[in-house]
Amino acid sequence: MSRPTRRPVKKLTCILIASALAAGVAASLLAQADSASIAVGVVLPISGREAKPGQYQREGVELAIHEINQAGGIFVKKLGKKVPVREVFYDDGSDQAKSSGLVERAMTADGVIAVLGGYSTALGEAESVMPDRYQTPWITTGAAASTIFSRGYQWIFGTLSPTDLLGFTTAEFLGGLVDRGKLHKGLKLALALENTDHGVDYEKGIEKWNHAHPGYFTVVFSEKFDLGSPDFSGLLQKVKTAHADIFLADAHLQDYITMHRQYVQTGMYHQMISYGARGPEADARKALGDATNYIFAGIWWSDKLPYPQVKQFVTRYKAFTGHAPDSWYPATAYDAMRALAVAIERAGSLDKTAIRDQLRTVELKDSLLPGQVLRFGKNGQISTAFVIVQNQPGNRVEIVFPKDAATGDAIAPSPKPH
Amino acid sequence: MSGVDFLNLLIAALLLAGVYAAMSVGMTIIYGVMKIVNLAHAGVLMLGAYFVYELYDRWAIDPLLGVVLAFPVFFLFGIGLHRALIRRLPPSDQPTLASLLLLFGLWLVLQNLGYLIWGNADRAILTPRTLSVLHLGPITLPAVRLVVFGGAVAALAALELILHRTWFGRAVRALMQNRDAGRLAGVDVEGTARVAFGMGIAFAGAAGGMLAMLYSFSPDFGSPFLLRAFVIIVLGGLESFAGVAAGALILALLETFSIQVLPAGYQPAIAFSLLVVALAVLPEGLAGLWNRRRRFT
Repeated sequence: MSRPTRRPVKKLTCILIASALAAGVAASLLAQADSASIAVGVVLPISGREAKPGQYQREGVELAIHEINQAGGIFVKKLGKKVPVREVFYDDGSDQAKSSGLVERAMTADGVIAVLGGYSTALGEAESVMPDRYQTPWITTGAAASTIFSRGYQWIFGTLSPTDLLGFTTAEFLGGLVDRGKLHKGLKLALALENTDHGVDYEKGIEKWNHAHPGYFTVVFSEKFDLGSPDFSGLLQKVKTAHADIFLADAHLQDYITMHRQYVQTGMYHQMISYGARGPEADARKALGDATNYIFAGIWWSDKLPYPQVKQFVTRYKAFTGHAPDSWYPATAYDAMRALAVAIERAGSLDKTAIRDQLRTVELKDSLLPGQVLRFGKNGQISTAFVIVQNQPGNRVEIVFPKDAATGDAIAPSPKPH
Repeated sequence: MSGVDFLNLLIAALLLAGVYAAMSVGMTIIYGVMKIVNLAHAGVLMLGAYFVYELYDRWAIDPLLGVVLAFPVFFLFGIGLHRALIRRLPPSDQPTLASLLLLFGLWLVLQNLGYLIWGNADRAILTPRTLSVLHLGPITLPAVRLVVFGGAVAALAALELILHRTWFGRAVRALMQNRDAGRLAGVDVEGTARVAFGMGIAFAGAAGGMLAMLYSFSPDFGSPFLLRAFVIIVLGGLESFAGVAAGALILALLETFSIQVLPAGYQPAIAFSLLVVALAVLPEGLAGLWNRRRRFT
């Protein structure tokens, strides 16, 4: 009975051997290609719910690659020449499973020397398990949750400061308004947080500041909500019932738009209102009009930062993409690619371990980010300061905190709508 | 919670029920007549949203008029889809794997078509109506939600009229009850199914237009609504329009009021739990329960 099955088994063995040989030839061809270009994987969402920020981040990476290649590429000492960068791009469709699968594919089948990507905490979390498995450096350009960087991974880096710092800076900004007499001491805060690690970290940051500065604020309401909900009336009713003075939400763009529409429709008012890192986006302005006025946001970067390299970046970005940078998205991606380029050059080879080691000590001294210096911390994540921006009448977005970067004064408390 | 807060919340739930009913009707028509679960429903909602957006953005056509215009346009689109794809499916009294796969594939095609035409930017319709509120004493009524609620009620009323006052409506009801008996009684099964499919798509397209007045949208739009539409039609009874209204109301009331005692993060679990309960306890939905009670009394 076993005889008839032998022939197919033989055939299968032949096919497997042939496949292995083909894979070997492909690998050697890939290795040859390696000396002609440096393959960098980029995995970002340009479709699905995170498409818009993902697209901006992609543009940031591509502008950096364009500039590097225009200068002849990255000098690799071991090869004795400048080598151009080749982008291997994948759209993860805002899907976690697909996202980690594509990072795995880039690190294994495409032979990249590093991967950039992971916009949003959820997608970044999914991707973050791959770098250590395949010993390939990974720089997340859009995931900030500290949980990603607290697992002891050795191959991961991030160009977004942790979200708890966002919560901390938000509370610090509000505390500053109290000190200046713009807000009263002892105000009540209501928190509505997205049901992710991002939301958890945001709350932690606020609690940390509150703990260090007793008497300023009391959190009277704190609850998490699900991403992409079609209705927030129940949640907003609870916020209303809490009779808070300040409303702080941590939300993605779509939820910010839906929630704030309902907030306005239900006639709610708070002295200050924020949606975490969301606020100044052009899409939000289009969807909400003047209702976005006085909303403040803690963001990782602003095109209004008073650094010459920021002005140059904005000009080059406009020329490259045909539009102005929207919010912080392209800047962290641009700097991630530049930091990687510096690390490769300092490593002097395309050895991934050497590049990883250089990333740990790299210092980008003309960084676009607040403080102008990008360096990764021990856990791989940067911790540059946040800037607080506020939407103001006349479609203006002003940096209102910290003082040394401010382009305008905060309007506080927000005027009551008519 | 004060009485006024309770009343405001009740009104919010009623208005949300209107949104849910509007988006579920189209799916019910198609299932009722053809026993096809329209997995492309979310894709049609998305196209409806963009249709109304384009009319508003390019020619400043009021979104309400856009919704009215969406009916004939999406009806023709539905007829076209039926001719091109749906009629090729083998007729069946139960949803078939072929129909599920075909319509899921169609959803993906529509979604990618959306990306091709409109890109991935979030769009939204902002009119003076969008953020305006009517005040009835201490009660606040968001104008745009009121409009959507009115639209949903009008759609359900129109459907009831069509189903009970026209020959076509009788034919539809006959096919909903028993396809073969309907055929033996002289109903043009193929023609009725074609028109019913067109109507289902027309209602879905118009509902998409109504949703566009409330939410921002991208080609990915519609997925959270698809799950809720499933819950509503399973709860209401897969072939009952009164059941759709009841199912929408129950889901909206549960979602709105339950999170007054539960954390808001549990909101999606409420819809899923309701689906499980409906399938386990009321497999024929509220309409089945109602029919059984009528038979016994």
